[in-house]
Amino acid sequence: MQRRLFLALVVLTACGSPARRPAGQPARRIVSLLPSFTEILFDIGAGDRVVGRTTWCDYPPAALAVPSVGDGMPPNIEAVAARQPDLVVLYNSGPNVTAARQLERIGIRTVLLDLNRLEDLGPATRTLGRLTGLEQRADSLALVMDSLTSTNVHPPPPSATVAFVVWDNPPIIIGRGSYLDELATLAGARNVFHDVAAPSSQVSLETIAARDPQWIAVLSDSAEAPAFAKRREWRAVRAVRDGHFLRLRGSLFGRPGPRSGQAVQELRALIERSAQ
Amino acid sequence: MKWTLLVVAAALALGASVVLGPAAVPLGELLHSDIVWNLRVPRALLAFLVGGSLGVAGAALQALVRNPLADPFLLGLSGGAGLGAVLAIALHLSGPWALPIAAFVGALAALALVYRLGLIGGAALDARILLLGGVAVGAFAAAITTAIVSLADAVELRNAFLWLWGGLSSASWDAVLVVAVYAPIPLAFLFAASRPLDLLALGEEPAGYLGADVAAVKRRVYLAASLLTAAAVAVSGVIGFVGLVVPHVARLTWGHRHRVLLPAAFIGGGALLVFADTLARTVVAPRELPVGVVTALIGVPVFALLLRRWTIA
Repeated sequence: MQRRLFLALVVLTACGSPARRPAGQPARRIVSLLPSFTEILFDIGAGDRVVGRTTWCDYPPAALAVPSVGDGMPPNIEAVAARQPDLVVLYNSGPNVTAARQLERIGIRTVLLDLNRLEDLGPATRTLGRLTGLEQRADSLALVMDSLTSTNVHPPPPSATVAFVVWDNPPIIIGRGSYLDELATLAGARNVFHDVAAPSSQVSLETIAARDPQWIAVLSDSAEAPAFAKRREWRAVRAVRDGHFLRLRGSLFGRPGPRSGQAVQELRALIERSAQ
Repeated sequence: MKWTLLVVAAALALGASVVLGPAAVPLGELLHSDIVWNLRVPRALLAFLVGGSLGVAGAALQALVRNPLADPFLLGLSGGAGLGAVLAIALHLSGPWALPIAAFVGALAALALVYRLGLIGGAALDARILLLGGVAVGAFAAAITTAIVSLADAVELRNAFLWLWGGLSSASWDAVLVVAVYAPIPLAFLFAASRPLDLLALGEEPAGYLGADVAAVKRRVYLAASLLTAAAVAVSGVIGFVGLVVPHVARLTWGHRHRVLLPAAFIGGGALLVFADTLARTVVAPRELPVGVVTALIGVPVFALLLRRWTIA
C-alpha cells in the first residue's frame, strides 16, 4: 500500500514542472526506448542527458550506468514517467503509439521514429539532433549513415550467398524488408530470400534446402553452432551439414545504428575468413 | 463406395504432398532427391499420423463427454504442452529433442491434473467435471506461460508461441518413427472400446444395463485419447479443427457405430492434415502458412455444407 502511494506520488511529481518545458527548447532529460536510439544519442554527445533506457540498451558501455525502465515492450508508462523526462524517444509501432499518447497526456513530450532500414538512420539522427540542440554532431553522423545507402556506393558484387535464420521451428528467415538484407548486400553477400518483401517470414525447410545458401547466418552470442544444427531434418540443408554458420553478435547486428558500418565490415571479414 | 472415395482421397493427398513443394524437383528425380526423401516424405507421413490421431482422439472424446464441441485440445492438453515448451526454452534446455519432450511432459501433467479432478465425482469420470476441469487447467497453464513469456528477458520466448500454433516443420524420420511406434498403442485401446463407446452414446445408465463397465471404459478412453493427443502436440504443436471437424464429418457420413467411425476418422483426419500441409507449403511459396490456418479454412466450409445437408435431410 505504502509502495503504491509512493508510486502515485512519483507519478504526480513527474507530471510537474520539468515536463512542461516549451517544445522549442533542447531536451535535458531523455528516456530512450530502443537500443538504436540510445546508441545515436550517445554518439551525438547527448549521452549525459539519457536518464532512462531499456534492458536491451547495452551499448555504449556507459549506457549501462543509466537506470533501466524495463524491456519497453510495451513501455511501462509509470516507470518511464518516474524518470521525470522531458523527452521520450520511441520506435514507431502500434503499442508505442498508444504509450506515447499516454505520456503526452501527462505532459511529457514524445517522439516516434521509424527505424526499420538503414535509410531511416539519417533522418532519425537528424531529428534527435534537432530535439537535443546538437544539430552539428548529428548532421555529421547522419551524413555517415546516409553514405551507407547512398546510390553512389556500389557494393562489391556478391561473392557468397546467405540465409538469415532467426528461428528454427517453424523456420523464420529474414527478407528484403529488413536492414539485415541491406547489410548482407553491402558486405558482398546475397540474401537467398531477397525475393521475400517482408522483413521476416515463415518458410518451409524445403525452400531453404532448395535455395542452398553457402552460409546460414544466426544472431547469436555463443561460439557454438545453433541447437537446430543437430536436428536431423535440418541436415537436408547443405550449409548446416557442412557446419557453415555465421554467428553474428546480437549487440552489433541485432539493430541498425551508428555501428552499422562496422557491422558491414565485420560481416565481410567473417565471410572472407570463413571461406578460406 | 464411401470407403473407396476416402482411401482414394487419402492416397491422392499423400501422393500430392510428395510430388508438390516449394522446391522444384523434376518428376524423374523424385526418387533420388534428398529434399523428397528427408523432408517431404517424413513430413507427409507425420502429417498423416498426427491428423489421424487427432481425428480418432476427437471422435472418442466427443462420445465420452457426450458433447459435440469436444476437441482433443479442449481438455487442457494444449495449455500444459505450451507451458512445458516455454519452460524448456526459458531454462535453456538444449538438445534437439528438448522441446518435444518438455511439451509432452507438460501435456501429461495437465492430463494427470484433469484426470484427478474428474475423479472427484467418483470412479466414473464425470463428463461435466472433465470439461470444466480441462478448460480451467488449460487456462491456468496458459496464464503461467504468458507470465513467463512477458517476464523473461529472452526475445526468443516470443517465438515459442509460433511453435505452439502448430506446424510440421520439425518433421523428420526420427519423429515419424517415434509416433509410428507410440500411437498404435492408444489407438488399439480406442478401437477395442468401439462397442462400449456405442453403448455409452445411449447414456451411462442404459450402457450399464447393457453390460458395459461404464467407469472403466471412460477412464480407459479418456487416458488413451489424451495420450494420443499429447504425442501429437509434442511433435507438431496445437493443430486445430482436425479433431473437431473430422469426427463430425465422419459421423454424418458413416453413422454412429464406432467400429466404422473410428477408422474413418483416422483416414479422414490423416488425409485432411496432409492436404492442408501441402497447401500451407505451396500456395504462398516461398513463404509458408501456419497449417492450423489451412485446416480451419478447408475444414469449416466442408463442415458447414454437411451440417446444412444433414439438417435439411
